[in-house]
Amino acid sequence: MGAYILKRLLSAIPVLFGITVIVFLIMAMIPGDPATAILGSYATPENVERLNRHLGLDRPLWQQYFIWIGNLLQGDFGRSFALNRPVLDEILDRFGATLILAGTAFVLCALLGILAGVVSAARQYGLADKAITFVVILGISIPSFFLGMMMILLFAVQLRWLPASGMYSIWGGGDLPDLLRHLVMPAFALSVVATGVIARLSRSAMLEVLRQDFIRTARAKGVHERRVIWGHALRMAMVSIIPVLGIQAGFVLSGAVYIEMVFQWPGVGRMLVDAILKRDILLVQGGVVFVAACYVGFNIIVDVAQAWLDPRIKT
Amino acid sequence: MGAFLKLLFRNRLAGFGAVVLGAIIVLALITPWLPLHPPNATVTANRFLLPGTPGHLLGTDHLGRDQLSRLLWGTRLSLAVGFAAAVIAGVVGAAIGIIAGYFGGRTDNVTMRGVDMLMAFPYILLALAIVAALGPGLMNALIAVAVVNIPFFARNIRGITVGIANKEFIDAARLSGMGHTRILLTEVLPNVIPVIVIAMSTTIGWMILETAGLSFLGLGSQPPQADLGSMLGEARSAMITAPHTSIVPGVMILLIVMSINLLGDGVRDALDPRLRSGALTRPLPATQVARKSVPEVPAKPGLLEIDALETQFHVGKRVYRAVGGVSLELKPGECLGLIGESGSGKSVTALSVMGLVASPPGVITGGAVRLEGRDLVGAKYERLRSLRGDKVAYIFQDPLSTLHPLYRVGDQLAEAILSHHGIGRAAAMERAVKLLEDVRIPNAKARARSFPHELSGGMRQRVAIAMALANEPDIIIADEPTTALDVTVQAQILALLDRLRRERDVAILFITHDFGVVGQLCDRVAVMYAGRIVEQGPTREVLEAPAHPYTKRLIACVPELGEGRRVLAAIPGLPPAVDALPEGCAFAPRCEKATDACRAGEIALESHGGRKLRCIHPEPAPVEESA
Amino acid sequence: MFRPRLTRRGLGVLTAALLATSALTAPAMAQTPPGVLVVGQIAEPQALDPHAVTAVNDFRILMNVYDGLVRYAPGTLEVEPALATAWEISDDGLVYDFTLREGVTFHDGTAFDAEAVVWNFERMLDEDHPMHEATGPFPLSFFFSAVQVVEALDTHTVRFTLNEPFAPFLSNLAYPTGLIVSPAAVAEHGADFGRNPSGTGPFQFAEWRSNERVVVTRNENYWDGTAASEAVIFRPITDANTRVAEMLSGGIDVMVEVPPVALGQFDDPGFSIVEQAGPHVWFLILNMREGPFTDQRVRQAANYAINKEALVNDVLEGTATVAAGPTPPAFAWAHNEELDPYPYDPDRARELLAEAGVESPAITFYVTEGGSGMLDPVPMGTAMQADLAAVGFDVTIETYEWNTFLGRVNPGLEGRADMAQMAWMTNDPDTLPFLTLRTEAFPEDGGFNSGYYSNAVVDDLLERARISTDQDERAELYREMQEIVQEDAPWVFVANWVQNAVHSDRVENFTLEPSFFLLLRDVAKN
Repeated sequence: MGAYILKRLLSAIPVLFGITVIVFLIMAMIPGDPATAILGSYATPENVERLNRHLGLDRPLWQQYFIWIGNLLQGDFGRSFALNRPVLDEILDRFGATLILAGTAFVLCALLGILAGVVSAARQYGLADKAITFVVILGISIPSFFLGMMMILLFAVQLRWLPASGMYSIWGGGDLPDLLRHLVMPAFALSVVATGVIARLSRSAMLEVLRQDFIRTARAKGVHERRVIWGHALRMAMVSIIPVLGIQAGFVLSGAVYIEMVFQWPGVGRMLVDAILKRDILLVQGGVVFVAACYVGFNIIVDVAQAWLDPRIKT
Repeated sequence: MGAFLKLLFRNRLAGFGAVVLGAIIVLALITPWLPLHPPNATVTANRFLLPGTPGHLLGTDHLGRDQLSRLLWGTRLSLAVGFAAAVIAGVVGAAIGIIAGYFGGRTDNVTMRGVDMLMAFPYILLALAIVAALGPGLMNALIAVAVVNIPFFARNIRGITVGIANKEFIDAARLSGMGHTRILLTEVLPNVIPVIVIAMSTTIGWMILETAGLSFLGLGSQPPQADLGSMLGEARSAMITAPHTSIVPGVMILLIVMSINLLGDGVRDALDPRLRSGALTRPLPATQVARKSVPEVPAKPGLLEIDALETQFHVGKRVYRAVGGVSLELKPGECLGLIGESGSGKSVTALSVMGLVASPPGVITGGAVRLEGRDLVGAKYERLRSLRGDKVAYIFQDPLSTLHPLYRVGDQLAEAILSHHGIGRAAAMERAVKLLEDVRIPNAKARARSFPHELSGGMRQRVAIAMALANEPDIIIADEPTTALDVTVQAQILALLDRLRRERDVAILFITHDFGVVGQLCDRVAVMYAGRIVEQGPTREVLEAPAHPYTKRLIACVPELGEGRRVLAAIPGLPPAVDALPEGCAFAPRCEKATDACRAGEIALESHGGRKLRCIHPEPAPVEESA
Repeated sequence: MFRPRLTRRGLGVLTAALLATSALTAPAMAQTPPGVLVVGQIAEPQALDPHAVTAVNDFRILMNVYDGLVRYAPGTLEVEPALATAWEISDDGLVYDFTLREGVTFHDGTAFDAEAVVWNFERMLDEDHPMHEATGPFPLSFFFSAVQVVEALDTHTVRFTLNEPFAPFLSNLAYPTGLIVSPAAVAEHGADFGRNPSGTGPFQFAEWRSNERVVVTRNENYWDGTAASEAVIFRPITDANTRVAEMLSGGIDVMVEVPPVALGQFDDPGFSIVEQAGPHVWFLILNMREGPFTDQRVRQAANYAINKEALVNDVLEGTATVAAGPTPPAFAWAHNEELDPYPYDPDRARELLAEAGVESPAITFYVTEGGSGMLDPVPMGTAMQADLAAVGFDVTIETYEWNTFLGRVNPGLEGRADMAQMAWMTNDPDTLPFLTLRTEAFPEDGGFNSGYYSNAVVDDLLERARISTDQDERAELYREMQEIVQEDAPWVFVANWVQNAVHSDRVENFTLEPSFFLLLRDVAKN
């Protein structure tokens, strides 16, 4: 297993390296420059040029790339032009918030999705199945930002149950219940689509598994049906559910951008959108590499979990 | 096509989706000719009129523009963009996938690494960066959304192409000197196209969502042009004061995407042959029962009596009569062989005993199965469960697929015990190891920690036997337990079963198609053909003097030293389909001795002493000749 | 107040989950404590170094942490003493001697003196200053480009010597770019000074949590009387809706830049809306170098075609007034009262187009998605597009995020667009026309005249007004300039913003300044 993990880690290196190249090239392709963002309304072409020189943006692209990647390898992500602080500080600040949001949403969608899928499969064509199927279709069809808006309208503005935005109350908050209150709506809104996808997949995976011979064996042994479903069948279905969890984790992470906008969550997604619009090159590059590394890392975890779960996979 | 539509509309949700989507598409198509306000005409004094205002059915937006008009024009645009993005992403992605999958090797490796990279890139950011590079606009948003989705298509299609590229007909095409381009276009592509089309149609909804997202962020359509996402984005600033301006486009997106999804699901299901055959349904915990009448209980109950059992498979309108009135009896300690070709209904008979016939589509429509006088058919689930594995245990054919592949064999054994006896895990594990020793598995303690795939076929079947013995049942139903094994192992397993039967005095119902096996193990034998018993009697007698022509042919198939499997090829023709049984003797079409009488009307199973026979032209009995 | 209603059951998992979490929500609407003022800002500040930033959003914090040598008297744009108690101007208008207030210390404890003032201006203006490169750039340093040398005559006297007479100098000193920072703090924090500010103002910096809040606390030793509130929390909420929702739910006490559509929400005795017109002009730059707008008649047609009344009253819900020319009425002494705005007259617009021989000119129109002082640019642009289309213009809108937008507009519209939105907030009537309407202010010469307006008379008027030290004379020159510019119509003059803010009834003494600054020293919260 150790060797397998090492192998997967090594195989991630070229992927990450490729990502640094892609993000660098894309940022180089985007017209506009950070100087405008720094100088604001008073950016004259002359000032912009001088500032670009100062920032080293007049150098050839390959030089800029190697300077950046060299610093990156030493853990130096550079300084954000627009925010006036080290990129890594900003990323870490923001990433914590995204991790809380996306992590919660992910746990939510995994639990709810699998639960709904299994119940749906176990009661195929029953009332519960039909209800779940309908809700799931509704879930995967609703734009998360629209759902978020409607939730704010209902729960924050009309009913005043939950705070409309942010991560902590500005006063008196900062503790866990406060965080949870702020987390409920965005996490739910973010998890809805993924929940739907996972539920659908879990349902079909369960149906596939339930037809297999070893389920009949379990039943023939007199294993209780509850255990047949939640033990034997689900355990096997997880083999095909887990890779999808990995993919959905990526979607949740990406989809967080909209939710962070709608709920003003101080996360990394919103930061990156702002940074792209402001041409805050180093922040975009650093942020994307960081997020991609997390994604790749998570996928390694998924693969390892898969290998651990399914002893038939050669590790 | 008609059948397809019928199938599609049988799924009511899909039908609903088709109707809604159809209505939306028709509306979008005829929008230019509808008597609507111009979508971009602003009357700022009339801003935020509520829905229902005369002249503005859905009210007006923040610039006093008619919402209904903007909604329809916006829908038109969003649909077109979603469709275009799906087609572009589908075509490009499929091309990459096919090339990578077909050529394999380095091409595949490099391409797929690239795809991995793109997939690790947060997709919204990638789309955003593309739009930032190209400048805002709906066309550019379309390109961005298409590009971002290419990797998903590429990956999917590659997987399918790899499967096809390794098939024989591709090798044949190569050997015949066809060029790569030609093979790709004429051999590979036609096989992938249905998948591409389905994938595309199911992603249109997703594409509309994503384009709407970009428009929502202000990167899509440019004002005053309306698409659903930008309508929602523009309405957001008035979300609290004039929620209707958000709700109108939001609900439309929801409706479109939902109807596409419903329809997409319906199409996929309708095209899936497994669904049509009912194979995608999940079997219930116990076989469904729909008996018109219940046979009377005899005065003196035996151990196990199968009484006029009828089990059918209901698939759509078709009815397959797998078991058509089978009666059998099993005495304590006895071994009864049930023999017949595949499809003769012998396994279904065996599975019907404990309600294990997959259901749907299986239904027990008649007869009874009595264990010590009490009917199991229609018994409450909990009673059935408590008897399964405890009183009546099963051994199945292929232990690789019948053992759970992800559980250690020891755990699976322990579970069998714990399902009926709350003796605690440790004790159960101990007993599991003991059971493994009983079935002569060397180094049982270590083996208990193995997974099924780590054992050989014979070992696995020993585990299965141990599992059947776990609760010391009165009856073991063994459904072709040796068929999947090679000959020497087969002999060992038979010997093991025989020994256990004698040691433990357990009754066995042994299902097989091999008279050689029956001869080694069984006291009595029943021969099944097309869902019915055609002959029954003591094994030795039947073997020595088969009365039914079919039995005779079966016996003739047995090679001298149990060379298992090539057996039944020796009988010309195929057994009849059980949804279209001929009148009279089902074997008549294959029987040399068949006469018109054989094909006219029911032929009864008649008892002759210890033997039963369903034939009007029995084979001459060698025993009688010698007498 | 919210009371959890946990009586309903069995509405399915979703409702159950939501109800369960509602137990958590009970204190969600907790009131902010008295004495602590929570201000909803429109964005995260870029930095708290007054010389390095340009956004009004940042100024709102800075003005409460720092003082300048002079400041605007409350409710006006007239300067009055601040860190300088008095000043003398030489007759030729080239030498300014400031007497500094004694006994003032920076928040970091170091003394405020003449050396500190000299250090401040040298950091900004002298490229060889050790901190210039390290803590720059200073985009507004050109406010003081007329300054030749700054010297300390003694510990409490500072002399500025100018290259040429520069009328807006005092006014510029009152602008945030003239605020005085602690040299010791800059030396200590270097590039991070922007996140660790230290000044002499009524509040001192306490905490900056990225994207969450900037906290400043009362400076107990403030030279001009201690502040009424113990602390102020500036909370960045970029989304206007969210800001409104937070205001409604009591999460913030004060909210600036209330979106026009939301004003109706605060029609409640619990809230007060405060308004204040300021020196702001919202206009459309017209490309006079190429395309249809090279013809004055077409430019005037655009001015007639756009219904400005409808824009300010409907789209902006009365948060702006119609602009007549390039100088906003807030500069009362320089504004030409006799100038009437172009009326909304689509027929006249069509006539003019016909005269010019262009029935349906094709126009590319740059619209921004937001930005300093831009109000509601997308709806405004869309409405304008509809108005222009009504008289025959064929307008294509391109929207850009603010910084990208500036990157496209500031280098000049040539080859890109015919028309672009723009808005400026300035502190002196000189600034806007000087930077945007002179021939020498073409983008290629380092100015912001992106539409290439060139009129020798206007150039001359502006030059003279800039060096005159007599306000009456300057007023005369500016009035004449406004008349000519309105007739030439290099822009479509659209609106002057009436800044607004909402505060809850717990907040007292809240006012807005014509300078667009937010001065919170006297604001109390119960």
